[in-house]
Amino acid sequence: MIIKVTVIVHSDNDELQLGVDESYSLLVSKSNEHSIIGELSIEANSIYGALRGLETMSQLCIFDYGVKTVQIHKAPWFIQDKPRFAYRGLLLDTSRHYLPIEIIKQIVESMSYAKLNVLHWHIIDEESFPLEVPSYPNLWKGAYTKWERYTVEDAIEIVDFAKMRGINVMAEVDVPGHAESWGTGYPDLWPSPSCKEPLDVSKNYTFDVISGILADMRKIFPFELFHLGGDEVNTSCWATTPHVKQWLKDHNMTSKDAYQYFVLRAQEIAISQNWTPVNWEETFNNFPSKLNPQTVVHNWLGGGVCPKAVASGFRCIYSNQGFWYLDHLDVPWDKVYYAEPLEGIKSISEQKLVLGGEVCMWGETADASDVQQTIWPRAAAAAERLWSDKETTSSTNTTTAALQRLEYFRCLLTMRGVPAAPVTNFYARRPPLGPGSCYEQ
Amino acid sequence: MVMRKLGLRSILFAVVIHILVISAVADIKNLKIWPMPLSVSYGHRILQLSNEFVLKTEGSKYPDASGILKEGFSRLLDVIKVAHVVDANFSYEGPSPVLKGIQVVILSPSDELQYGVDESYNLTIPEKGNPAYAFLTAKTVYGALHGLQTFSQACHFNFTTRTIEVHQVPWTIVDRPRFSYRGLLIDTSRHYLPLPVILKVIDSMAYAKLNVLHWHIVDTQSFPLEIPSYPKLWNGAYSSSERYTVADAAEIVRYAGRRGINVLAELDVPGHAKSWGIGYPSLWPSKDCQEPLDVSNDFTFKVIDGILSDFSKIFKYKFVHLGGDEVDTSCWTLTPRINKWLKQHRLYGTTAYEYFVLRAQKIAISHGYEIINWEETFNSFGNKLSPKTIIHNWLGGGVAQQVTAAGLRCIVSNQDKWYLDHIDTTWEDFYSNEPLTNITNPEQQRLVIGGEVCMWGEHIDGSNIETTIWPRAAAAAERLWTAYDNIAKNPSQAARRLAHFRCLLNQRGVASGPLTGGGRAAPEEPGSCYEQ
Repeated sequence: MIIKVTVIVHSDNDELQLGVDESYSLLVSKSNEHSIIGELSIEANSIYGALRGLETMSQLCIFDYGVKTVQIHKAPWFIQDKPRFAYRGLLLDTSRHYLPIEIIKQIVESMSYAKLNVLHWHIIDEESFPLEVPSYPNLWKGAYTKWERYTVEDAIEIVDFAKMRGINVMAEVDVPGHAESWGTGYPDLWPSPSCKEPLDVSKNYTFDVISGILADMRKIFPFELFHLGGDEVNTSCWATTPHVKQWLKDHNMTSKDAYQYFVLRAQEIAISQNWTPVNWEETFNNFPSKLNPQTVVHNWLGGGVCPKAVASGFRCIYSNQGFWYLDHLDVPWDKVYYAEPLEGIKSISEQKLVLGGEVCMWGETADASDVQQTIWPRAAAAAERLWSDKETTSSTNTTTAALQRLEYFRCLLTMRGVPAAPVTNFYARRPPLGPGSCYEQ
Repeated sequence: MVMRKLGLRSILFAVVIHILVISAVADIKNLKIWPMPLSVSYGHRILQLSNEFVLKTEGSKYPDASGILKEGFSRLLDVIKVAHVVDANFSYEGPSPVLKGIQVVILSPSDELQYGVDESYNLTIPEKGNPAYAFLTAKTVYGALHGLQTFSQACHFNFTTRTIEVHQVPWTIVDRPRFSYRGLLIDTSRHYLPLPVILKVIDSMAYAKLNVLHWHIVDTQSFPLEIPSYPKLWNGAYSSSERYTVADAAEIVRYAGRRGINVLAELDVPGHAKSWGIGYPSLWPSKDCQEPLDVSNDFTFKVIDGILSDFSKIFKYKFVHLGGDEVDTSCWTLTPRINKWLKQHRLYGTTAYEYFVLRAQKIAISHGYEIINWEETFNSFGNKLSPKTIIHNWLGGGVAQQVTAAGLRCIVSNQDKWYLDHIDTTWEDFYSNEPLTNITNPEQQRLVIGGEVCMWGEHIDGSNIETTIWPRAAAAAERLWTAYDNIAKNPSQAARRLAHFRCLLNQRGVASGPLTGGGRAAPEEPGSCYEQ
């Protein structure tokens, strides 16, 4: 019988930053002839390592239907564990569909079950601007409705809730594209009322607003990384809107130059506010030598990007859309599982520049009703890739074992009330094909 | 003189009723309450909900020893604060008066939850007062819980003050359900549903004022429930961890009961029972012909007796569901041993089916239950059924008419409109399904005790049950709760209000799907919850 858990945490610092020590060791001793009391102890350098240990411990516990108590089988256990990558992310998109706070909390809670540690909050996009920005109080007029908004306190609540589970929140302000909704409150940010994206590069006002948003967000999001987007910028509105066109001419810039100018100026704002900028890979693909050397490049378009980014000395986050975009419903669990963030990177020093990876739950067809069954169980496959040692997860003969464990984990999620979909359906988030056991679907 | 006074009073009363009904009909567009109450009048002012919003029970005859009301009040505070962070330090000095609390007066001291329990309530929220209190009266605590649900839907978060407001005061709401049986079926045999999933479904039922969880526990595919009298029955579970202990089942009943929801347990015999034989193979006609249960074996009825005896300790609702649907008796005639028995007893397939159902009914009655059976029993031998039997319609329309004409009670679940697993059926279909169709005689109308939406589990598990149930079950919930005259004649008139309720469910963490499309459809494109 186990009557207590001893948790030893060596550091009294509970600051949660990138690279915080998440290692732990877990010991379950067997009861012996002297005592029927077994011992369970967790030792960690940081409180966040201890939380990971508690999660592992919960997965050793099994309800025994005979004696109707919770048991730990196969004792004694000794587990030593630490993550392979420091950054293990999940993106949520609250612009395409507003996600209520309660739903976001449910997702954060479930992330901790899979030891994911970064919630990448893609707050705003062209469709809606749901977050309150006190410096520019008209911005959230770009919300879908007055009910579909987050106050500053709501955002802080999410950050605090996540921190209690060892999860950082990385906010994203995606500029200059994907920002049409900003202009609902401040139409001056549009090149013109008929050509609304990207943000008007020619006005200082645009950068004042960005600076105001980032200053307000700095008070909410303590994580050192901040995502500035920079993807899919179609500059044709700049080239066709007379006053912007004139400005380009005056500054002797092509549209492409202006894109670079915009991204770099936004980076400067972020750095001046003590953020480390993260940018989608297009920024690196277009002007790699100009990016601030601190920049973290966020891959998404395809393979081979992180190798180039780290070869240029940048840090990189892997999210190859062929494998790790959860809105791609036709990517099966094993494709997710075998995607390798370090693929094509041989040198150890370059490998160290890959912070980790992230699965992306873009919200075009995901709202409160289906977001969790689209995330799970595939996000758990990526979570193992990001947490576990490469040797234990990479040979193809691990497939059967991994599938069995993943099916078990998805049932564990449903037992905890998380709507995780069947593992082996051809399309994600589809219903089970017929009656059957959770463990076989 | 006396007569004249009375006359005047009743005229006045009639006028008041008239005004109330008019306001309910005329202002429906601006109401955000689901399901629509019996009568509503409201104003256009706003009250600020106090940060120390309190429950007062002076004058209540209900002692609340079990804490049902207190817990209901605490859940009320939870759901009205769930959507956003409320500023706890906000000191209010604005123009709107503060609502200090709610006074709940309950007339009955009893918290017994039985079929037909009085669920009515009156809720008034004043526009001012010093201090102002909402006033909720009800015959029973369960009526009061409904009143608290309605109250929660009058509360809104103010994005400027970061506090909760009650909009559209003053409110006067008089409310009671149209039908006393408003059910939702869940099926834990086709897929096991984990305990937290079931509890969450119960929470969401309470939001829509549904009051019966019909638990279709066992079927052909698996037998997940522990039966102490026959401990091998749950060997028929899918796996060792996909099972419910007696304590689990008791917890479901307790949890539902505290929300005013009864649990109707179903034991579907003699068909749909193949999984019983995993633990006790002699219940099968033979190893290769495993359904229906062996009618010729007394052991079969001993097991049923044992199960129902165990049921009676857990499931306190006065009804038990004995199934009786889709019985294919060919295994009986094909199995020589049983065929011989049939001949000895001058029975054939259909009469043996009747014999089985009636014998099972007697066993259930001996354990104090009244019986619900699927409609095939009525269609095949209606005049032989215990007269207290309630017939559960499912095959199609028009059955309630025949059942009530025969003097039996009926629950409506016609599959073309109220089967949630039919994912092509739209919310409008659910909304429009009228249980009293073609039943004009008031005596017969009273025999229709209500209706139920059925969430059969062939393609339903913990991952998609909520989004397949909601929002369509809410459409049926309004049909079952709301007075006929207040139900939208054209569902489109209720669409905005239902969309609002769907988004309310989302805010409360319930995965209700969009209105567009049938069941569990993903939103087609980006957009507001209120428009999808």
